[in-house]
Amino acid sequence: MAFPYAFRIAARSIVHEKWINLLSILTMAAGLLFTAITILSVYNIDVATKSLPEKFSVMLYLNDNLSQEELKNIMNTAREDSAVERVKYISKDEALKELEASLKDIKYILDGLGENPLADSIEVKLKNEAVRPETVKRLAAKLSGLDGIGGIEYGEKFLSSIYSIKVGMKTIGIIFIVIMSAGMIFVCYSTVKILFYRKNQEIETYKLLGAKKGFIRAPFIIEGAVIGLIAGLLSFIGILSLYYTIIFRLSLTIPLFKAIIFPTDIAIFLPLAGLIIGMVGAAIAIGRIRY
Amino acid sequence: MYHSSFHFSLFTFHFSLNIMIHFHDVSKYYDNQTALRKITFSIEKGEMVFVTGPSGSGKTTLLKLIYLAEKPDEGNISVAEWETDKLKESKIPLLRRNIGVVFQDFRLLYNRNVFENVALALRIRGVGDKELKTRAFDALKVVSLRHRSDSYPGSLSGGEQQKVAIARAIVAEPSIILADEPTGNVDPDTSAGIIRTFKDINARGVTILIATHDRELFRNTARRVLRLDNGDLVGEEIA
Repeated sequence: MAFPYAFRIAARSIVHEKWINLLSILTMAAGLLFTAITILSVYNIDVATKSLPEKFSVMLYLNDNLSQEELKNIMNTAREDSAVERVKYISKDEALKELEASLKDIKYILDGLGENPLADSIEVKLKNEAVRPETVKRLAAKLSGLDGIGGIEYGEKFLSSIYSIKVGMKTIGIIFIVIMSAGMIFVCYSTVKILFYRKNQEIETYKLLGAKKGFIRAPFIIEGAVIGLIAGLLSFIGILSLYYTIIFRLSLTIPLFKAIIFPTDIAIFLPLAGLIIGMVGAAIAIGRIRY
Repeated sequence: MYHSSFHFSLFTFHFSLNIMIHFHDVSKYYDNQTALRKITFSIEKGEMVFVTGPSGSGKTTLLKLIYLAEKPDEGNISVAEWETDKLKESKIPLLRRNIGVVFQDFRLLYNRNVFENVALALRIRGVGDKELKTRAFDALKVVSLRHRSDSYPGSLSGGEQQKVAIARAIVAEPSIILADEPTGNVDPDTSAGIIRTFKDINARGVTILIATHDRELFRNTARRVLRLDNGDLVGEEIA
């Protein structure tokens, strides 16, 4: 029976102390909104870079008149490396056919070339988890030392910058989320602490009348949870509005923005995060109850 | 006063002797001031006892030691089946639920109406809404305040507030009632009425300890009176 009563007390307090609670809700909502923007940014970069390993390969361009033995040696050395998924030999004729196919309607520009200018090559596909700048560099260094290799290409700078962005964004994102969460817990902590002090006499009376700790704590925890939940819902409305007013409209004129993903899970995540942060803040604010 | 060695045996065997409250050589100090010095006494189950003395004699401290708002610096206290020095902090609410306290400053919640103030003692004990309503109104009837149940304490006179505090103390039917100057704010007629109420409750077997400096309150009541002076238990008599 104490449970519904705790809800009544919490509801009364939320209404009675509406201004301080409103201020906390808005501050927390802003914090959750920034957190959500960070999470969405990191998430989108993560999704964009996840497909990178599938498209990534190291191309080994072979010298002309390579002996079968040299070719075999290169193929085997590449295949035996732990980072390598598969190795594929592409003759210069095949390469020309592929080029023609990719040029489609403008393949006539190749007509003036006469002899096939392309080189035989080996495409080295890496395992997904091995597509990292340091692994690729190591493999490239190892293979470029072999006899018969005329050139090697793997988009070193592109790979490095993508991974720097990915790692940097993730690190900044995590630091930002931790700081924001701590800040939001502090906001809720401060609010509940103020309310707790204001109700000090009342709480003392509860204790003297025989109230257990749960009876005293419950209304404050509920109040913290409600503050957090409302803040979470507001921040969700905020991020949804931002998405539809900015990203969605921009994507109509700039196709790049179409690639931005808005995970629907955030509709649950934000209110839930607010609820937990609110409860944690309140629990810390109440602290240990002594008789 | 009992001889101290006799008290020691009482302390050990108080259950069999039906003792509800027992103090053994209890002292309490605030900074360098002595609030109570080597106090020893017992109150049996169903007794109604007065503790009297001038202001600052230690009456309130004595009551606070019983409901554990304070802890003794020396000595032992037992209340009902609990020896308070051995009581875990988590059990303190259970002890307090056995005691109804009428505080000197009432300790009413001024943002709740009279009914809610009285019902609070039952809510804390987890009593359901239906039973809670009946019992809270019954307690208000006992103190003749049923008609003020919707009023807020701030709109009541000092005497009426005192009655609300009494209703809250009795509503959960505790085995012990402690009243600190329960007639401090009321006229003689109301005062007599309050004592009659306590006598009625006592007649049901509830142990009652009333702290008062008003000698008129216990005159000719034929009840035991403990006399405190400057922290010492200086005498005991039947009024």
